[in-house]
Amino acid sequence: MNFDPANYVLILNPAEVFPLGLTFKMGYDGLALVMVLLTNAVISIILLANWNRNISSNARFTGLVLLMQCALLGLFTSLDGILFYTFWELTLIPIFLILYWFGKQDNNRALFKFFLYTLLGSLMMLLSFIGLAYFSPNFSYFQLVQANFDGKAVEAAMIMGGILFAFAVKIPLFPFHTWQAPTYTNAPMAGTMLLSALMLKMALYGMIKWMIPIGFEGLVYLKWPVITLGGIGIVYGAIIAMKQKDLKTLFAYASISHLGLIAAGIMLFTVSAIEASMVQIINHSIVAVALFLCAGIIEDRLNTRNIDDLGGIAKVAPHFGFWFAVMTFISVSVPFTAGFIGEFVLIKELFTAHWVIGITAASTLVFGAVYMLRAYQGSMFGPTKVTVFKDLTWNEYAVFGILTVAAVGFGLYPQIIIDFIKPSIKFTQELMAGDLTFTK
Amino acid sequence: MLKKSELTLAVTSIGIIGGFISMFLMNDYESIFSTYAGLTFSRTQQMFALLAIGLTLLAVLMGYVYYKEEDEHTADYYGLILFSLTGALCLIGFSNMFMFFLGLEILSIPIYVLVGIQKGNSLASEASVKYFFTGSFATAIMLFGIALIYGSTGSFDLNEIRMAIDMGMSHSPMLNIGVLMMMAAFMFKVGAVPFHFWGPDVYQGSSNAVMAYMASVVKLAALFAFVHLFNFTFNQLTPFVSGLVLFAIIVSLFLGYISALKQTSFRRMMAYSSIANTGFALFAVLNQQFGEASLWIFMIGYACSTVALVTINMIVEKDTDELTNWKGIGYSNPLIGITLVISLLSMSGIPPFTGFFGKYLLLSSAFANYLPFVVLAIIASLIGAYLYLRLMVLSLSREGEGQKIKMTAIQALVLVLCLAGVLGGWLVLLIK
Repeated sequence: MNFDPANYVLILNPAEVFPLGLTFKMGYDGLALVMVLLTNAVISIILLANWNRNISSNARFTGLVLLMQCALLGLFTSLDGILFYTFWELTLIPIFLILYWFGKQDNNRALFKFFLYTLLGSLMMLLSFIGLAYFSPNFSYFQLVQANFDGKAVEAAMIMGGILFAFAVKIPLFPFHTWQAPTYTNAPMAGTMLLSALMLKMALYGMIKWMIPIGFEGLVYLKWPVITLGGIGIVYGAIIAMKQKDLKTLFAYASISHLGLIAAGIMLFTVSAIEASMVQIINHSIVAVALFLCAGIIEDRLNTRNIDDLGGIAKVAPHFGFWFAVMTFISVSVPFTAGFIGEFVLIKELFTAHWVIGITAASTLVFGAVYMLRAYQGSMFGPTKVTVFKDLTWNEYAVFGILTVAAVGFGLYPQIIIDFIKPSIKFTQELMAGDLTFTK
Repeated sequence: MLKKSELTLAVTSIGIIGGFISMFLMNDYESIFSTYAGLTFSRTQQMFALLAIGLTLLAVLMGYVYYKEEDEHTADYYGLILFSLTGALCLIGFSNMFMFFLGLEILSIPIYVLVGIQKGNSLASEASVKYFFTGSFATAIMLFGIALIYGSTGSFDLNEIRMAIDMGMSHSPMLNIGVLMMMAAFMFKVGAVPFHFWGPDVYQGSSNAVMAYMASVVKLAALFAFVHLFNFTFNQLTPFVSGLVLFAIIVSLFLGYISALKQTSFRRMMAYSSIANTGFALFAVLNQQFGEASLWIFMIGYACSTVALVTINMIVEKDTDELTNWKGIGYSNPLIGITLVISLLSMSGIPPFTGFFGKYLLLSSAFANYLPFVVLAIIASLIGAYLYLRLMVLSLSREGEGQKIKMTAIQALVLVLCLAGVLGGWLVLLIK
């Protein structure tokens, strides 16, 4: 296949500009292609993981998952500000309905909180896009990246701040995370997987692809605040996770911790930090699917996720015990897994930026091991409280197998991702610097 | 043999569709009235007229289920609605204060009757009387305003008034008071705060079809006249007007949405939500350049969603229009479910539906000059989103599984047409 990651493949490229500055450009570069492939792979894995559950034979559920995939693919391939916003909002509809129809029945409060919080973020992003219209002739991605702020760094930072707000809610960064845990615990397994493995990645992708290139003049104002929030998130999420009894809540807070690291790394916007972030994004998708599948399996068989009620499962279901252990190791980033590469390079980059944040970021390695091993040990070993536990079914074996192969594969040979990312980032940086006049 | 009511429906529909087609094909409407310049249709006005005719068709189709019961009086309903449409078209095409006033009256008087047409219903009588008295009062104020404007500028013609203002009349107190009075009357007609009190009662008292007609066509025509007059004729007075309009916008938005949250009756809720949406639409008054075009896009989204929701209310309504009737209807009937979700999302301003583009156009033009108000409007629209989301959650509840919902073919047709409007209305942006 002749794909040049340094250049754009334009799927849709109308020559004219429509009213409102709409251009309807769609296309992908290496970065977007990685996300597209990730989306398709993860959606398939999620459907595979739900194979034996009632939910998967429900036409509405499958339809909504496919709608979700459509919205995500649109988001990753859109090269027009309004189109990006449209797909961003469109993802909200299927996930909302999945959470509402297939989640716990009495979850309206959490659901409203999730929807309105996200919508507030999106509206701030919309404000930013409206403001951007004053700096750019139209909403084409290339025009937006080359938008001329004439040194008005404060305006650029405000525009960037609006976009950041939307992403910060979705990631979620430290003070914007309150919707996450209740939403995760009330959601069905597939919903949690979609949210965690794909929807959060939209925000990280948006930061790399849209937010920083567009408002680069304003980065000086936002770089350290966001890195600080990321750092707080790393420690805060980990500490809360250590005290959790509910497996899903624990994984939700662990995810705040992991994503804080990625967000902080992205804000550095160096080539190697972005590469490592992308590796880590893929790794987190793997980990999220894996861990929420483990939690889902436990909940399915025992109707509880509370660590206190669990114990000794490994004796009854040794295969599950083994695979849960593998997944735990992947999530604590042992060497030879993708997480090892990602976290290490990110920590190194953050350390280069400032030693305090470097040390804070490095604490994730220790904390991660603490809460993950506690979760594993508490549920799998210890006093035997569980006597009946159906071991894994074929599709669960398959999911665990695929995920392990992926994690180890990317851990041994991360270059396969980096080859896609690096030229794209270089290209974007040249585009921002105005070194090349790209008017496609 | 056709029943009388069926025949009336057929004739009315054919007439409206014929009107729509001839309006669509008309390239130069001005030449028809070569000796009278009071009624002209520019391209924009033609677009508004088409929208008004299309929405009337929806209201007529909706009303059929309702009025076919009274075979003797079906024609009354259609006749009155067609008269009212005539008024709406005058109100859209006016270029003269005389024609404007004529249009306003032809639009309003049939509505007073239509609201009270269910004679047995005491709420309807109350609504009718209330609407008639307050409406006549507003008309009187409007007339007084026109008289004052005439007194200060010496003309009824919009162009001449504009020229007089351009020549330095803009500080004349008489003119300003006249404009203020017109504005007050307009605020009444479109139902903006602080002249909104009639809204909930009148909406609750009238039948579904009349309510849909009032919320779509009447509002559209009055808003267009408002925007047209203030952007075109009184454009020199914008600094003087803008403060008041901004006040009305913000108060309408917050009061409308917050009051709507407390309602248990569907129609009262829609009345308050329509007050809030009027607040959004009034942003068009402050936008000289694209005000009318933005209003068009906004109104097609708003009107189609409203008509769709009212139709659904008509389908599920039992004895009362309590919101509890809505429980689970979207889950048990896919057509209702899809229409409802898309209408509500469009009203909350979520892309890619027409409502989003309307709000986007209105807010983006106000962004440069009135940024704080745009931010307030966005916060208000979040409250609105909560309101619509609650309704969506209620009607998508899984408890509705297996519930049987009776729907006639005409109602389904109305829903499909509304859905097309909400989904595709914004595509007009691309061809213009």
